[in-house]
Amino acid sequence: MDLIRILMTRCAALFRAKRLDTDLDEELHEHIELAVEENQRRGLSAQAARTQALRDFGGLTQTAEAYRMQRGIPFVETLLQDGRYALRQLRRNPGFTVTVIATLALAIGANTAIFSIVNALMLKSLPYPEPDRIGTIFWHIEGSQPFEGRSEINGAQWELLRDNVPSLISAVTSPISSGANLEAGNTVEYVHAGRISARYFDVLGIRPVLGRGFTEEEDRSNGPNAVVLSNALWRTTFHADTHLIGQAIKLRGQPYSVVGVLPADARTPLDADVFTAIKPSRKGEGAGTNYGVIVRLRDGANWQQADGELNRAWADEAGRFVNEFHRGTRVSFYTVPLQKGQTATLRPKVLTLMLAAGFILLVACANLAGLTVVRMSRRSAEIATRLALGASHRRIQKQLWVENLILAFIGGLAGVGVGFMALRGLLSLLPPDYLPVTGAPLDGRVLGFTMAASMLTSILFGMLPAIALRRINIRSFMASRTTEGIERLRLRQVLIAGEIALTVILMAASGLLIRTLIHLETLPPGFNPQGVLTAKVSLDDARYRDSAAFDKLMREGPAAMERIPGVESAAVGLSLPYERALNNGWKMASGPLRGQSAMSGFSYVTPGYFTALQIPLLAGRTFTGADRRGSQLVAIVNRTFARRFFGTLNPVGQSLDDQGTIVVGVVEDVAVEPHSEQVNDPLGSEPMTYTPSAQAPMQMLSVVHAWFQPSWIVRTSRPVDGLTAQMQRALTGVEPGLPFSGFYSMSDLMAKTLATQRVEVALLSVMAGLALLLSTLGIFALVANIVAQRSREIGIRIALGSSVRSAMAQVAGPGVRASLAGLLIGLICCAGTLRVMRSVLYGVRVYDAITIASVVATLAVVTLLATTIPSLRVTRIDPAQTLRDE
Amino acid sequence: MGDKSDVLQGTLDLMVLKTLEAMGPLHGYGIARRIEQVSRDALTLNQGTIYPALLRLEQRKWIKSAWGISESNRRAKFYSLSALGRKQITEETENWERIAATMARFLEPAK
Repeated sequence: MDLIRILMTRCAALFRAKRLDTDLDEELHEHIELAVEENQRRGLSAQAARTQALRDFGGLTQTAEAYRMQRGIPFVETLLQDGRYALRQLRRNPGFTVTVIATLALAIGANTAIFSIVNALMLKSLPYPEPDRIGTIFWHIEGSQPFEGRSEINGAQWELLRDNVPSLISAVTSPISSGANLEAGNTVEYVHAGRISARYFDVLGIRPVLGRGFTEEEDRSNGPNAVVLSNALWRTTFHADTHLIGQAIKLRGQPYSVVGVLPADARTPLDADVFTAIKPSRKGEGAGTNYGVIVRLRDGANWQQADGELNRAWADEAGRFVNEFHRGTRVSFYTVPLQKGQTATLRPKVLTLMLAAGFILLVACANLAGLTVVRMSRRSAEIATRLALGASHRRIQKQLWVENLILAFIGGLAGVGVGFMALRGLLSLLPPDYLPVTGAPLDGRVLGFTMAASMLTSILFGMLPAIALRRINIRSFMASRTTEGIERLRLRQVLIAGEIALTVILMAASGLLIRTLIHLETLPPGFNPQGVLTAKVSLDDARYRDSAAFDKLMREGPAAMERIPGVESAAVGLSLPYERALNNGWKMASGPLRGQSAMSGFSYVTPGYFTALQIPLLAGRTFTGADRRGSQLVAIVNRTFARRFFGTLNPVGQSLDDQGTIVVGVVEDVAVEPHSEQVNDPLGSEPMTYTPSAQAPMQMLSVVHAWFQPSWIVRTSRPVDGLTAQMQRALTGVEPGLPFSGFYSMSDLMAKTLATQRVEVALLSVMAGLALLLSTLGIFALVANIVAQRSREIGIRIALGSSVRSAMAQVAGPGVRASLAGLLIGLICCAGTLRVMRSVLYGVRVYDAITIASVVATLAVVTLLATTIPSLRVTRIDPAQTLRDE
Repeated sequence: MGDKSDVLQGTLDLMVLKTLEAMGPLHGYGIARRIEQVSRDALTLNQGTIYPALLRLEQRKWIKSAWGISESNRRAKFYSLSALGRKQITEETENWERIAATMARFLEPAK
């Protein structure tokens, strides 16, 4: 009780300090006066009386000091005092302060930006109730080519999953949302439609804000057509009409009855404007593994149980896969929590970036440690004086820590600012759907991380001076002036070698990625992308299931486009270069692989396709109007196909499949996005088969058009004003009620496919550049400091006859040696670490001579600059002046 | 003059309390001089050390202070015992006598 009361009194005294000080002053002076008077009464002179009084009293200052320590909370008071002193010191050394804060801001900013993304991607929970109970299914193939990845399933698997795996609530979806035509009033819109099975919203835990989800009946093959709207679409197109439930809207050319509207904050992995029932079956789409799957663990079950039930239920299907596609392997399935599953491919990339950001932080720390060591040596005079005046070592250390923490705090704040701006810039560079999250905000966790990083760096570079401080005592300062110079120099050299090593690793990694990107960007496209505009039209529509309507559109549409002034040629194709093509399987009817089943890319095209894209014809002919429904089935293959399936045999005239299709031509390969099962390249060539649109099998199209929308291509000889509007008008003239969507130029498409690569390269290069900058500054500071410290010695040397050049070399030497050591260490580390990058490099080997050479060359140039420029100061040393100063 | 020797905190506190008990309200200088006198100048402490001690006693509420007029007609701070302080004197005195007795037994030659 007593203790608390005393503590409170002391706290109160903090605030009344000034008043209490005045009182104390008065009291003490009164004491002295009374003593003086008594002494005078005893017979001393006025002068002697005062002297005696003061001597009897002891030290006025010390008494007041002791009094104040008793009165307040000394810790807090000294803290405030230290803080004020620290701020004064920092202001008096603007060079040091600004350098430290700038370095901290950059290093911590980089870390903050990257960590925000990590946070949004991997640490923040998905916006669903109990998100760790939602998952997806991966499959695991053992054998000669092991593979792990997200599994899509077929109709048979779905039925088994639904009925025989009681631990999970399951739903299937179309793999991506696809385009559909929505008619509302007199306008037709191209919207993004997702197809889902009945329990999809249950799995995600989303309750429609109006109406309901789908019933089992609506999810059956011949069930009624129902649609659920997203909140945004409901508000914009339907003006938030609350009586919409039960009404019919026209989607895909057919009436759909609106049964529900989703809440405004609902987010789904499909991110669609409308949802319709997928109506899974074992035929058509369901015959192959085309359904995406999403599951939720039921209450009381766990993931292991689910895995067991899953593998038991699918045992037969797994066996079938092994026999048909993956002989000599074992196939098993397992559940993966959704967040992990969605970010699986991004995870290693993001973690690499975090590592790089961590490197930068280390480099910054090393720099700051070097700066602080130098500053400490400059302040040894000040510190020795303070020790002489009676300060304790602890007090001085405490003050230095306060200085460090203030710097760390300001640096941290600056880092948050820099990080925020860097993040904004980064997010604006990324293509819109790159991250499976919307926005990466600076939330509490990020800020906490930032401050922690800041404190950690400050401790790291504050520890060194604290250790160095122990060496400073009054005697050592008085006695000598340059003793610890050598140790300090060695330390700084070690720091710089470390920095350079880290920088070398970063530069090598980013160099390899740059070369990969260049390789990808300069891949021969196989066609002429200049002046080509593309757009999609949704044919997932009841009106175009009929071959007559479809063929008419394919005939008259491109013709209408070609009538637009300025348009050279127009065509339609199911898939475009730079996109992923449809995969098709059949049995080879001739050639060296006769009788074997084959897979290849597949697309239908109008006759003008190859001309419009200017794809060179290598053999035979392209399609003509004579290739119609009912006449001889023909196909065109590309070079890769010819080489793989026909070898040296000329494919023209050969029979392709058991339908009697004849190959009539061979065209050049175009760069496409390969299928990701065996290959990881973002761009490459694949075997392709083209069929004339007029011979495309309608049954296959009705399934295919649910996934892919065909693209319309228009080539112009010169830029045309309002081309997109003219295209739409032309199309509407031929077919009213068909909207275009997504106009892109071919270079846009390539950019989209290479977006990942570009972002990675940009980020890593920026970070490597940052590390290089920091390291250069480190070397610069080292050499500049040597010059400053040794100017006396150098002056004497020059006076004794040494040349300026050799003096410069002597000064620059330590910097160059440190850099060299760092380079060697860095290269050795590269030999070990760069190997992990193998899977993301294309067209360049891991130990690429050009990359290593450029890294070495860059470092050499940078070291040369960083050591030469400060050593130029040597030329300004006047030996005569130095001798005079001695 | 004599040597200035360190005086333990607790003993100084007790001396101050006893002084105030005997002399009634006094200012800081008066207390210091009185302590010097009573200890017959064998103990010449730095007079300044009295002030932190006075503050300590005041924080514990054993003494209280008030501004008044000194004999030289100037303002001075006067200290006086509180009821709690008076009680404390008895306790502390007993404590001291016990310690002194024990020490005496140690210092006497063995009987």
